[in-house]
Amino acid sequence: MALIDMQDIYKTYRMGETHVQALRGITLSIDAGEFVAVWGPSGSGKSTLLNLIGAIDDPDPSSGSYRLQSQDIFSLSDNHRSEMRNKHIGFIFQQFNLIPVLSAMENVMLPLQIRGVPTAKAREAALQRLEQVELKDFIHHRPDKLSGGQQQRVAIARALITHPSLVIADEPTANLDTKTAMVIVSIMKELNRLEKTTFIFSTHDQRLIDHVDRLIHLEDGCIVEE
Amino acid sequence: MKSWFNIAIRNLLKNRRRSLFTVLAIALGFSAVTLFGAFTSYMYAGNREGSIYSSYMGHILIARKGLEDSWREDPKKFLLTPEEIAYITQTCQQMPEILLIAPQMRINGLISDGKTSTIFVAQGIVPAVQDVFARETKLRLMEPYEGKPLSDTDIYGVGISKGLAKILKLDLGSEAVIMGTTVDGQMNAFDVTVSYLFNAPAAAINERFLRVPFQLAQKLYDTDGAHYISLLLKDTNQTEAVRAKLTKIFADAHRDLGMKTWKEISEWYNKVKEMFDMIFFFLFAIVFIIVVMSVINTMSMSVMERTREIGTLRALGLKRLGIIRLFAIESGLLAIGGILGGGLLSFVGWLLVYALEPKWTPPGITARIPLQLYFSTSQIIVSMFFLLILCMSASILPARKAANRNIVDALGHV
Repeated sequence: MALIDMQDIYKTYRMGETHVQALRGITLSIDAGEFVAVWGPSGSGKSTLLNLIGAIDDPDPSSGSYRLQSQDIFSLSDNHRSEMRNKHIGFIFQQFNLIPVLSAMENVMLPLQIRGVPTAKAREAALQRLEQVELKDFIHHRPDKLSGGQQQRVAIARALITHPSLVIADEPTANLDTKTAMVIVSIMKELNRLEKTTFIFSTHDQRLIDHVDRLIHLEDGCIVEE
Repeated sequence: MKSWFNIAIRNLLKNRRRSLFTVLAIALGFSAVTLFGAFTSYMYAGNREGSIYSSYMGHILIARKGLEDSWREDPKKFLLTPEEIAYITQTCQQMPEILLIAPQMRINGLISDGKTSTIFVAQGIVPAVQDVFARETKLRLMEPYEGKPLSDTDIYGVGISKGLAKILKLDLGSEAVIMGTTVDGQMNAFDVTVSYLFNAPAAAINERFLRVPFQLAQKLYDTDGAHYISLLLKDTNQTEAVRAKLTKIFADAHRDLGMKTWKEISEWYNKVKEMFDMIFFFLFAIVFIIVVMSVINTMSMSVMERTREIGTLRALGLKRLGIIRLFAIESGLLAIGGILGGGLLSFVGWLLVYALEPKWTPPGITARIPLQLYFSTSQIIVSMFFLLILCMSASILPARKAANRNIVDALGHV
């Protein structure tokens, strides 16, 4: 059974009197363990699609269904959706979105602490993840003392600390130089290979696209090529 | 939970200046309420002690029912007889809560220095009770006087209020005549000597108030009865309980006796308390509105600045309630900081009052008395609790707005 099963999804944004259709009848299925890139030009609906897959946004009411691990996401209450995100989905953001007042270690521990995992256990898990992304020496550094690449590696560690079945990365390399971007992609790829975690990331960087298993090409809110 | 406190503390420290000003606003508000509360407690205590001790009224007055309303119709009818006085005394002596039982007279008439005459009202007390009242009060302003107190051995020595003494140009040792009507309607008069001068408990009666030995009052009215039996209790808080016990005893014995507590007698105390309660309420409301507005402002700014962070936390799985809790903890910490600061300011205020001992003349009192602050633990605890709850509640509005915001919008916030 597919990890992600999306049927006929529409998403329309209202901008004053204007209605902009960001997604037009997306039907998509992604299996567990895939390493998928969603690419397309600006405004093609990449981020909108990732937001819906990540259960942080709602589609148009007339849309079809979206199942993640057989769970109908759009029928869940806000609290259940929060729990679902915490347990099964990891997020990596273009702007890294680390909590500025927390150290690298504390940022990584955060998803487990939201779940109520004891601090000692969360700390142990965070340390392990930070070692994996080669940031063992920076655990007490706050985000403003880390480089862009280091911050994104902290974000990857944070996304993976709960052992999610799915990691969503919206333009994860957009703010990084080419060398760092390649390092980030190789880390994600390695984790995908080792842990069979499904990665979906949006990008319009051609160099990264060469590393993915599957490419979803979006244009004007429609999948034009797979 | 510890990590949320951690985040809250660090966020407050991140915006040190803003947090400091909010804490200061809370601290000033809390100390204003605490100090004013301490002042009102002092006012209440002063008035309470004045009503009970300075006026030698005691906690409870026992009299024939109808004395206050119908005295003039038949003065004899409403006097307690020696048998009743003995009965009441015997009954009250069996109650351990009662410290002192003393008969009293309320008399009025004319006082003259030989040239000028004017009306007087007088309280006839047993001279021996003066020491007990003075000893038992916690009040530092127990009626100051010049001269010698009333004496059981000199029943013609009287105390005269300074206002009345001024009108009649009387001084210590001066002689005067008091005249009154006996209970049978005959005129009666006695020569008296001014033993002491004092400020009457209320400015309104300072020009006509006397305090005379009980025996002299009885002689002037030509009676062996008394208007009241005054009861002084060991503890003011037992007033209602003692009254309830005595009411039952008197009813069971079919005695036509009524009672009034110091609170019922002291109209002044009740009015002052009502007025200060009202002022305190308004001050409390104003202070807390300012504090709440300050906290709302701080939290709103914090929410606005941290919208992206809120979006991130929501994306990571923090529920809406978790966001509200995070901001409630922050404002709770601000409140605790403010309460501690306010406590310190209140202590400094108390120290200043204690060291400088400023004196003032409260309304209705004729003497300058030292200003004091009586901190009430229950009032401080209630204020602290209210402040904490209000501050935390004040953060809910902006936090709720943030928590309900669309996650994608929050993540895209710049």
